[in-house]
Amino acid sequence: MRIEVEALSARVHRTPLLQDITLRIEPGELFGLIGPNGSGKSTLMRCLAGLHRASIGRVLAEGEDLVRIPTRTRAQRIAFVEQQADTTDRLTVLEAVELGRTPYLSPLRGWRGVDDDAVSDALGAVEMTAFTDRLWHTLSGGERQRVHIARALAQTPDLLLLDEPTNHLDIRHQLSLMELVGSLPITRVVALHDLNQAMACDRIGVLSGGRLFAIGSPTEVLSEPLLAEVFGVSAMRHAAPDGSSRLHFSHAL
Amino acid sequence: MTMVAAQPRVAPVRRLWAAPLILGLTILAGTAIGETWLPFATVLQTLANHLWGASYPVDGIEAGIIWSYRLPRAIVAACCGAGLALTGVVLQALLRNPLADPYLMGLSAGASTGAVLVTVAGVGGGVISMSFGALTGALLAFGCVVVLARAVSGGAGGGRATQAAAAIILAGIAGSQMFNALTAFTIARSANAEQARGIMFWLMGNLSGIRWEDVMACTLVSLAGVGLCLWHRRGLDAFTFGADGAASLGINVPALRGSLITATAIMVGVLVSKVGAIGFVGLVVPHAMRFLVGTRHDRLVPASALAGAVFLVAADVISRVIVPGQVLPIGVVTALVGAPAFALILVRGARR
Repeated sequence: MRIEVEALSARVHRTPLLQDITLRIEPGELFGLIGPNGSGKSTLMRCLAGLHRASIGRVLAEGEDLVRIPTRTRAQRIAFVEQQADTTDRLTVLEAVELGRTPYLSPLRGWRGVDDDAVSDALGAVEMTAFTDRLWHTLSGGERQRVHIARALAQTPDLLLLDEPTNHLDIRHQLSLMELVGSLPITRVVALHDLNQAMACDRIGVLSGGRLFAIGSPTEVLSEPLLAEVFGVSAMRHAAPDGSSRLHFSHAL
Repeated sequence: MTMVAAQPRVAPVRRLWAAPLILGLTILAGTAIGETWLPFATVLQTLANHLWGASYPVDGIEAGIIWSYRLPRAIVAACCGAGLALTGVVLQALLRNPLADPYLMGLSAGASTGAVLVTVAGVGGGVISMSFGALTGALLAFGCVVVLARAVSGGAGGGRATQAAAAIILAGIAGSQMFNALTAFTIARSANAEQARGIMFWLMGNLSGIRWEDVMACTLVSLAGVGLCLWHRRGLDAFTFGADGAASLGINVPALRGSLITATAIMVGVLVSKVGAIGFVGLVVPHAMRFLVGTRHDRLVPASALAGAVFLVAADVISRVIVPGQVLPIGVVTALVGAPAFALILVRGARR
């Protein structure tokens, strides 16, 4: 799905959090969104998900203004995995993933075979098929994040938005989750804290103080002067044996 | 660490046939049991005489007790139980708060104030009915609690779900205290001692005055409640991961919240005006049912309505027979069961 953000500004409780953001995300792209705490990543993700209305500017999905798309239709095309969405309900993994079919169901349109197919495909994609009957509160953080992604995939969206999906995961689960996200064949926008994870994206956008500071391929954007200016860290980039480049951070400036 | 078994996946339709049967038996039992125990056969014969024009020889006094007092009372108890349990289901789902309950959130307190203002202080000059007073009170109290909660948390529908949940409970406490104080003030100012005692009984829940005229309103309200909740069952499910989660699943959150919470307030207003403020049904029943049938609302809504009905008919029977020669307020019975259950929910929540 092609996403165009046009001169977008957004406020939360009258505090301006995003100012004059313009960017374009191409179909099938893995787009990373990075920036320090409070730079507006989550607000921009919520605007892309249609959960927060821009005060100025707009978001276009395939050329259509997001606020004009009916809520249900939007949820059939755009899926959003929030940061740390949790529940105290005793529900199973299967029930959690089945929630992803909500935008297709109505009081008069019941559960059908295609819903079962979408749910089992989604569980398969995140390799959680063996967990269907497990209860939510018995899952680890990494497993929960996979269930969230499966729930989003069950929406069969064209655009998947993930807000800091690797937060609070151990390193193994971080890597396997990013591998999973990288392998999905749809447009993805991922807000990330770990800059080395951002190196795996097709393109990244850097937010700083609510403005889009830079946009481009990770190697173009993540230069040592930018890291010093935006994140306030001294960093060095060097080539890993596999040809990719890695960032090494030495100290805060 | 304890092993937790998976939820049994019960087909909801297969067991649904049992619901009317259980409900019917409960109402029959509620009619038969009392200070004077009447045989089931007499109850059935009286029903047959009235409903199908049969002519079984039934003692006139017994027939009168059954038809004019106990049967409408049992039906209204069942409707109130179902309705109050559903308001708990709806509030707990929409506010993502296991402690949400009309009684705790000030709805019942507001309804009581409205009813007392109309009946005791004579607000409305006899034109306004007590139901309307209770309804207005419930809506007003709920409005106050929601506005207060928003002011505290910066938006009950905001992202910080836990904070918003705590805010709504605290606002509910403030609202309940305020409206209870208003009620007490009205009673102290306007009512004589005899009236005051009667009202205190009514405030704790009282089914003694129930006649056939009350049955229609209560039945309508609770059936409409069941229908509305079933219609929105998927919307209620979608709130599992919070309001933002529901919105990203395509639910129009403000519209759904607005309509269901207004419906809840109307239900509470009507039911409280008939039977007084009965606490803890909305809290205890949905939790017990989630344990039995799971969290999905296609099962939880009918199960909670049925269990609420059975619970309140049983509580009414207990309130009539536990102290010989005296009828306890039904709210005392529900609170004696409900308050420990409330404590249990708190402890379980803390362990999680």
